[in-house]
Amino acid sequence: MIRFCCERIFQLIVVMFCVSTFTFILLRLSPGDPASILLSMNDVPASEEALTNLRIELGLTESLWSQYVQWLIDVFTGQWGTSYVSKEPVIDELLRRLPATLELATAGLLVMVSITFIMGIGTAIFSNGYLDRLGQFMALLGSSIPSFWLAFILIYIFSVQYGWLPPMGRSNWKNLVLPAVTLGVGMGTVYARVLRANMIELMNQNFVKAAKARGLSKSRILVFQVLKHAFLPIVTMLGTSFAFMLGGSIIIESIFAWPGLGKYIIDAISLRDYPVIQGYVIFASFLFVSIHILVDIIYVLLDPRLRVS
Amino acid sequence: MKGSKKHIALAIASFFLLTLVLTGCATSNVPTDIASGKTMKVAFPWSPASLDPHGSNSWEVMRSGTGETLVRLNDQLEPIRWLAKEWKQEDETSWVFKLEEQVNFHNGNAMDANSVKESLLRSLEKNQKANDLLQIEEIEVLTANELKIVTKKPNSALIAHLADPSTIIVDVTTIEDKNTYPASTGAFKIKQFNKDESLLVERNEDYWGEQALLSEVKINYIADGNTRLLALQSGEVDAATDIPIDNISILEKDEKIEVLTAPSLRTHMLLFNMNSPLFEVVNHRKVIDRVIPRGEIVSKVMMGHGTVANSPFSDILPFGKVERNEEKQSIEQLMTQGGWQKNSIGIWEKQGKPFEVTMLSFPQRPELSVMAEIIQGRLVNEGIKVNIRQVENIDDALEKEDWDLSMYSMLTAHTGDPQYFLNVFYRSDSQANVSHYVSNSLDSTVNQLNETTEITSRNQLAVQAQETINADLPQSFIVHPKTVFGVRKEVQGFIPDPIEYYYIHSQIDVHE
Repeated sequence: MIRFCCERIFQLIVVMFCVSTFTFILLRLSPGDPASILLSMNDVPASEEALTNLRIELGLTESLWSQYVQWLIDVFTGQWGTSYVSKEPVIDELLRRLPATLELATAGLLVMVSITFIMGIGTAIFSNGYLDRLGQFMALLGSSIPSFWLAFILIYIFSVQYGWLPPMGRSNWKNLVLPAVTLGVGMGTVYARVLRANMIELMNQNFVKAAKARGLSKSRILVFQVLKHAFLPIVTMLGTSFAFMLGGSIIIESIFAWPGLGKYIIDAISLRDYPVIQGYVIFASFLFVSIHILVDIIYVLLDPRLRVS
Repeated sequence: MKGSKKHIALAIASFFLLTLVLTGCATSNVPTDIASGKTMKVAFPWSPASLDPHGSNSWEVMRSGTGETLVRLNDQLEPIRWLAKEWKQEDETSWVFKLEEQVNFHNGNAMDANSVKESLLRSLEKNQKANDLLQIEEIEVLTANELKIVTKKPNSALIAHLADPSTIIVDVTTIEDKNTYPASTGAFKIKQFNKDESLLVERNEDYWGEQALLSEVKINYIADGNTRLLALQSGEVDAATDIPIDNISILEKDEKIEVLTAPSLRTHMLLFNMNSPLFEVVNHRKVIDRVIPRGEIVSKVMMGHGTVANSPFSDILPFGKVERNEEKQSIEQLMTQGGWQKNSIGIWEKQGKPFEVTMLSFPQRPELSVMAEIIQGRLVNEGIKVNIRQVENIDDALEKEDWDLSMYSMLTAHTGDPQYFLNVFYRSDSQANVSHYVSNSLDSTVNQLNETTEITSRNQLAVQAQETINADLPQSFIVHPKTVFGVRKEVQGFIPDPIEYYYIHSQIDVHE
């Protein structure tokens, strides 16, 4: 197990280095001059002198190589560079927005897991019944409704029509409900169908029949025999979805004015705030690889066969 | 069997309830408690990255009602006293300002000539645009409330440019202090700033002018236009700016909301690339200009929330009332003079080459892309092929790509003065002259404008400059869009100001 973890951590470092270097090069090749964008933020034209001075101040007149070396120094000294816009260390800017994204991702994951479990188990037990058909319909709806559209519909119903929940912001727990539901519904209904299919397949396996023959109750068989095995493929999907959500749910955060990483990175991209984009890429690659390592570990813990192999 | 199903149902229900509870608990309470008293909630689109009044977000700081400049613009867009109560020009480059007395910064420190000097110097150090606008050589403190500003060269627009938000007067000792917010002199002071989310400002009890009627104003930053609209409809905010045009009809049906508009100082235009072989010929520019259906664009694309543009400057400005040259020759005459002939499919061609142009547009202002398509349709009907290319960064594309025409939008007189825009956007040697327009006559008019202080003469020179521009046609001006606001009927005193940073002021109020 220790060797397994060490290998994965080594992979993590290699992936992060490659991704960040690749991003650095791509950003410099992509169109857009940060100085010109920053100076024309209010659509007032900027003079040549202003542009030149800002380019020098931001270090954009340096060679690509020295910019890269400077950035590596910044990364290893722990500040990850300074944002062109706010003039604050990138690491501080990312960490300031992380709690909001973490909240939204966790709540979204909980909604997603709830829907997956409730609908997956319910429709597996009552397969081919009304509940199953409803589940099928919901999965179709969940996978086909664009999240931005669902977000606006939810705001219209729950905020404008009934005034039960706020449409935006992050003042208290009520603000979290609509974005979390929007985030969780789409994937939750789809994963529920996957869970249902896995459970139905497993319910016809010999070990389930044997358990039934031993006189175990259906609920006990369902929870301790079937669900445990049926849940394995879902873990990977949930892990990937959670990593995506932790990276910042760009559309959801923009619509609900949720001050998380997704909204921040979109602004940084449009303003060509290179240090922020690069810092975010390191951060996101760390998240993705870490969560995949975590998923691998959960897999090993859940399935003893993998431990042997 | 029945019993086991019941258990499962119970387990599922319990799990669901637990999840709901946990979901609720997952949220932290951001401390944005609003004190008792009247509070107004406003939705603005852009969140400042920092509250440094001299940084790149000075407009957003000014918009919060916390910052003030030496001079402000009145509803005629003329510079009037604010923190400077009077001023006098001593010679071509020297101005003496008398400051308001009894003015304190939000931290209680008195504002005097020294602190104003420090603030202006910091602004010049941190903001290159402030340097370009003010062109200050030296600031001298004469007395506790008198200040002399010497410019590097004659700068007749100095007074108007001192209304630019990058020159907000602030106690400079508070800017770098991480434990406090910048202390300025406005009717409101900053209470709490949640980046990307909201800015809470409270009444400045020590304000030198008329006390604010509201105890607090909470500014919510909502980038998405539809969410701003829904927040307004739900009562989550009392007023919202920059309402998307296609949502106006929804708001107009809502009895609780009033739709207000303000003429803006912005101009949507079509640029000609005067380095392009096709558009170095003035007749070709005239053909395109003639085809643009300005009235239709105002009524159909802008839904009536704009005015036809005849020049770079809006007609609400004293120097903006300029007539556009109506071309007397027909398109056929203009084209045949250049040796063009229509081919069998009705496209103009010369020596076997069709008249085909590349037009750039960009997604950040969606209405411009719609306008581009309308213009394309009209030009195709007239026998000119137009290929529209959407680019992500218009300024970069204008500099690096091959193009003939481009949609563009600019704020042309943000301080109510034409000097800065004419210098930066039109002078032959300016890099921001994106049309590559070279005119000695215009350069000379702009030089004259730079050195003229008398307002009537300045306005005349600005009109003269626009007449030269309209004759040479480096751009076709299409529309001056209006800014649209949605305001709940309880709000009193909200003024839809053409200047984008005076929305929050001391006399704004909310009636319960």
